[in-house]
Parts: sequence; C-alpha cells; structure tokens
Amino acid sequence: MKRIGVFVCWCGSNIAGVVDVPGVAQLAANFPNVRFSTDYKYMCSEPGQETIVQAIKEHNLDAVVVASCSPRLHEPTFRKTLARAGLNPYMLEMANIREHCSWVHAKEKAKATQKAIELVRRAVAKAAKLVPLYESTIPVTKRALVIGGGIAGIQAALDIADSGREVWLVERESTIGGRMAMLDKTFPTLDCSA
Amino acid sequence: MVAAAQHPQIKLITYAEVEQVKGYIGNFEITIRQKARSVDHTKCTGCGTCWNKCPTAVPSEYDLGLGKRKAIYIDFPQAVPNKPVIDRQNCRKFTSDKCGVCQKVCPVGAVDYNQQDELISDHFGAIVVATGFDLFNWGQNYGEYGYGKYPDVITGLHFERMSNASGPTGGKIIRPSDGTEPQNVVFVKCVGSRDDAKGKSYCSRACCMYTAKHAHQVMEKIPGGRAFVFYMDVRTAGKAYEEFYQRSVMEGAQYIRGRVSKILPRGDKLLVRGADTLLGEQVEVEADLVVLATAMVPAAGSDGLAQLVGFTTDKDGFCQEAHPKLRPVETNTAGVFLAGACQGPKDIPDTVAQASGAAVKVTALLAREELSVEPIVSGVNEASCSGCLVCRPICPYSAIEARTINERHGRETVSRVVAHVNTGLCQGCGSCTVACRSGAIDLKGFTNEQLVAEVDAVCL
Repeated sequence: MKRIGVFVCWCGSNIAGVVDVPGVAQLAANFPNVRFSTDYKYMCSEPGQETIVQAIKEHNLDAVVVASCSPRLHEPTFRKTLARAGLNPYMLEMANIREHCSWVHAKEKAKATQKAIELVRRAVAKAAKLVPLYESTIPVTKRALVIGGGIAGIQAALDIADSGREVWLVERESTIGGRMAMLDKTFPTLDCSA
Repeated sequence: MVAAAQHPQIKLITYAEVEQVKGYIGNFEITIRQKARSVDHTKCTGCGTCWNKCPTAVPSEYDLGLGKRKAIYIDFPQAVPNKPVIDRQNCRKFTSDKCGVCQKVCPVGAVDYNQQDELISDHFGAIVVATGFDLFNWGQNYGEYGYGKYPDVITGLHFERMSNASGPTGGKIIRPSDGTEPQNVVFVKCVGSRDDAKGKSYCSRACCMYTAKHAHQVMEKIPGGRAFVFYMDVRTAGKAYEEFYQRSVMEGAQYIRGRVSKILPRGDKLLVRGADTLLGEQVEVEADLVVLATAMVPAAGSDGLAQLVGFTTDKDGFCQEAHPKLRPVETNTAGVFLAGACQGPKDIPDTVAQASGAAVKVTALLAREELSVEPIVSGVNEASCSGCLVCRPICPYSAIEARTINERHGRETVSRVVAHVNTGLCQGCGSCTVACRSGAIDLKGFTNEQLVAEVDAVCL
C-alpha cells in the first residue's frame, strides 16, 4: 500500500480565485492511499516546498501528488523537493488544476472545483502505481555548433569560445556578418556595425 | 566579425550548410556541406586581382540590386573571410567554358574550377540556431504602394545599403531611378507588420527605431532634406530609445499618425496619399524617395533547418522557444538553443543579449562531464515483443532498432528479432507504445497499467 501525500496549490488567486482549493484538499484526504492532504498559497515557494518535505518525513509518505500549474513549469521544481526529502524524484504526480482548470473555467466556479477534484482523483490513482525511476547518464562532447553567422551567431560563438570551448560557426553565405553587416549606423548609439 | 574569425577556439565555415543532424543532446553527429567556392582559400590571399579582372558583372544580392558585383566576388570590401567565391550560375567559364581570366591572373594559383562540394562531419554537444530573418516580400501584397514597380519606393534595408560608407553609393543617399539626391523622403512604417489582412499580425519591433534613425540620417546627410514618417504608433520601449526618437523629432522629422493609402507617380516624383488621423484629414506629400519599414519574417530555409535539426516553429515560422518567459533561449529539443531574430523579430541589443544567454546555456551544458537523462523513455518487454517492428517507422526520433536475441525453446536455442529502444535517442513521446499490437512497449512513468488506473479513477 502506498502512502500518498496531496498538496493543493492556490497559485495566489490564479487557482483559488476559481477553485475551492481547501475544499479539494479536504476531499482528497479521503481518496484511497492518501495519508496526508493540505493546501497552501504558493506550493512552489520555499515555505510551500518545506511543507512537502516535512509531510514526507512526518507521515512517511512514499508518493506525492501536487495539484497546481502545468508540469511543464514546476515538475522539475517538485522533483527536487522530493529528492530533498529523500524520496525518488519520480514518485511525483502532478494534477494541472490551473491551465487545465481554473484558467479555462473561470466563469464556472462550482464546475471547476468538481473538475479539480476529478483531476486530483486521477493523479492519486496514478501515484498509487508509480515506481521509482532512475536517471541514466550520457557523455558530453565538448564542442558547440552555431548555425548562422549574423550578429546573433557571432556573439554566441564568441561567448562560448571565450569559455574555452571549441565552436564551429557555420554560415550559408560567403561572408559572416549577416544583416547587421549590411547596416550603416545602429541605434541608439549610432556606432558602426562592422 | 573579425574577432570571430581570429578566435583560436572558433572554426569558421562559410559558404556551407548543415546537411544532416543525428544524435541527441551532448552527442549530436552533424554533417556540413561546404559548397564549392571554386577558390582554394588556403592559397588565396584576397588580393582582389581576380574580381578586378573578371569581365562579368551582375546585380549584387548583397546590395539588393543597388550595385553590381563580379562573377568571382566578395560581398563587400570588409567581408570575413576576405576571399572570393565564384558564382557558377553567372561565370562564363561555367556557362560557356570560355574566359578563365581569374585563373590566369591569380598570382597564387588559387582558382580551381574543378572544386567539388565537400562534406565535413563531427560530433557536437550543443547546437545554437541563429538563422536570422528576411524582409517580408511587400511587393506581392501591397499593390497600393506599386507592387515594387516604382524604383524610388525602397525598403529600409536598401536605405541602409545606401547610407553605409562601404555600400554601393559610398554612403550617399540617392534615388535609384536617376541617381539624384532626394529632398523629401517619406517613411512608411508597419508595411507587413501589424496587418492581419495583408501581412503579419505581429509587431516587428525594430522598425520604429531604425526609421527614427533613417529620418535623422536624411536630415544629417542631405542639405535641406526633409523626412516625413507615417506611423500607426511609435514604439520605443528600450533604454535610450525614446530619447533617440525625440531627437529625430526635434531635428525636424515630421511624424504623421496614419496609414498611407496610395503611392502614385507624379512626374519624376511620387505622390504619397494618406490619412492624418490626429488632424482627421487626408494628406498628400510629394516625395522624391519612399522608404518602407517592412516586416521581419523568418529567413528563407529556416523551416527546413528546423525539420533537419528537429525542433518546432511557431505559427509564423519563427523558431519556437521552450517557454516564452522562463526558457526563451531553449527549444523543446534538448541541446538545441536559439539566438536572435530566428526566434522572433528583435533588434540588435536584444539579439546580443539573447545570444549571450544561449551561450551561457551552452557553456553550462559543455562544462559537465556527463549528463543525466530523464528516465521517461520507452522500454520493450522482449518476452512479449513479436518483432513486427511496426514501432520503428512510427518513432519520430529513429530511436527504435531491431535486435536479435537468443531464446531457449525446450532444448533448442532459437534466434529471434525484437524491437530495442535506444534510450539516448528516445524522447519519451509514447508513439511506439500506442502502435505496439502486443502491448510489449511501455513508456516508463506512463505505463499501460498506470494509464488504465487513471482512466478507472475518473470513469468508474
């Protein structure tokens, strides 16, 4: 049996302005395998993350559900939080109750809350089936390729090269310089572009 | 430019294009096609004898047709490298097997008509895409400005080439039609930008400022020169930008808030008809030269490069950043970074800032001995894999290969083909798991069992 913790985020008023966040957290406490459930204003903040770390330790949690924003934004954040608490970082499941819920159902608060509950229910069900995953490592070739020899490519190549790394700068035309070299003076300083 | 050519850590490969990209973050294997220059750059000293003697002159692409270049040429006197290439489409040696003057006059024997394209391959840890922009092809869409037929209706880039001291006119602003110096110069902003009907919906960001600069240059370079600027809004968000614009206004640039509806030839001049929406009336300006601030669009061929390297582009064809605020210099493909206007219209200060940002991302990556990769990749259960390999063509990352395994069947050992996932290439998209008829492939972190549990939780 898993011991799951559920952490529901307000995201300030982004989620809590629409969804009854404390209500979702209270209900989630009764979902199968859930041993702890709470809500907080900003789960990604330092005190928010500390809430998760403490709960993992106090309640001996082995999987975590964070109901907040899109995992594209904060999944890496919360994975690190789990690692800090000694859990495998992949024992995390996120429920996106912001982009997929409060933002798109802003005018239907009751229904949005119901949807948030369902999204958390889904995440809890998945969390119960999570297994630890382990990252593998790959070697890094210490050389960079820059495609395009205009001002952007030149600047990037110079900065990388200044760090001591080898850079290949590939340009389609017969000269580097791109559009910038075609210009006369450049704003706002009116210095030359060569 | 010269700093890049002289840097001991930078290998400059001009007149070349990326041909093939394989591999993944930390381990890209890239093939570059060095196009045949027909000039051996290891011998060439850039003395210029060849292009001085070359009898063929064609309009210079670099000068947007405002000047001429030879068939063996450098784009401009300060080109880097300062060594020529032969344009085989126009060179008489290649079109009719005559001439050969450049080879005869070259003092070091660098001209080589038989030079072939060359393929160069190597391994790279990271890629920076910095393919820049082109200008919107306004002539096709703006009939009211003459479809590009009036020689004295030019773009801002033409104006730049003319005002550039090493450009085709030596820095003198002239009318392309008759070579005379214009007096009244009309600037039209937002040609193709912020125009859903005929152009692009976005703002090209740099035009307000370069138009303010052009107006300043008209008044600075042309005695008695007058600048009229038709605008929708003046957007000068940037350090010292508003002050720069105000300076042009103080110098006498006349800003007219409104669109130009028509440009007509009148005698040897152009009649620019438009609205002044602040006065609420029609205005007409007799112009000697009209300069259009045309929209920035992604550079030609950048969509093909995106496919080749394997990252996405947005609705306008610009390279798609991983996150508009938090990951602006990364693509969604690990190890591929963005710099400059290929990601969206931007001016030089923003381009330089973004390029340095991309460089930091690259150095952070290359500073590591090894990379940890997300374990969310596909795995094959060899026992239930039938070896049909339906998954292989479906994989967008070419991560699935056939592998032969040996199995005991009673007393016999039988060899059998199964699918195998290269976890370095796999990006965890899950396409193969859907395609697998025997359910032998699972995406770690998104296994069939996990997904069914989720569906049950919501539906049962």
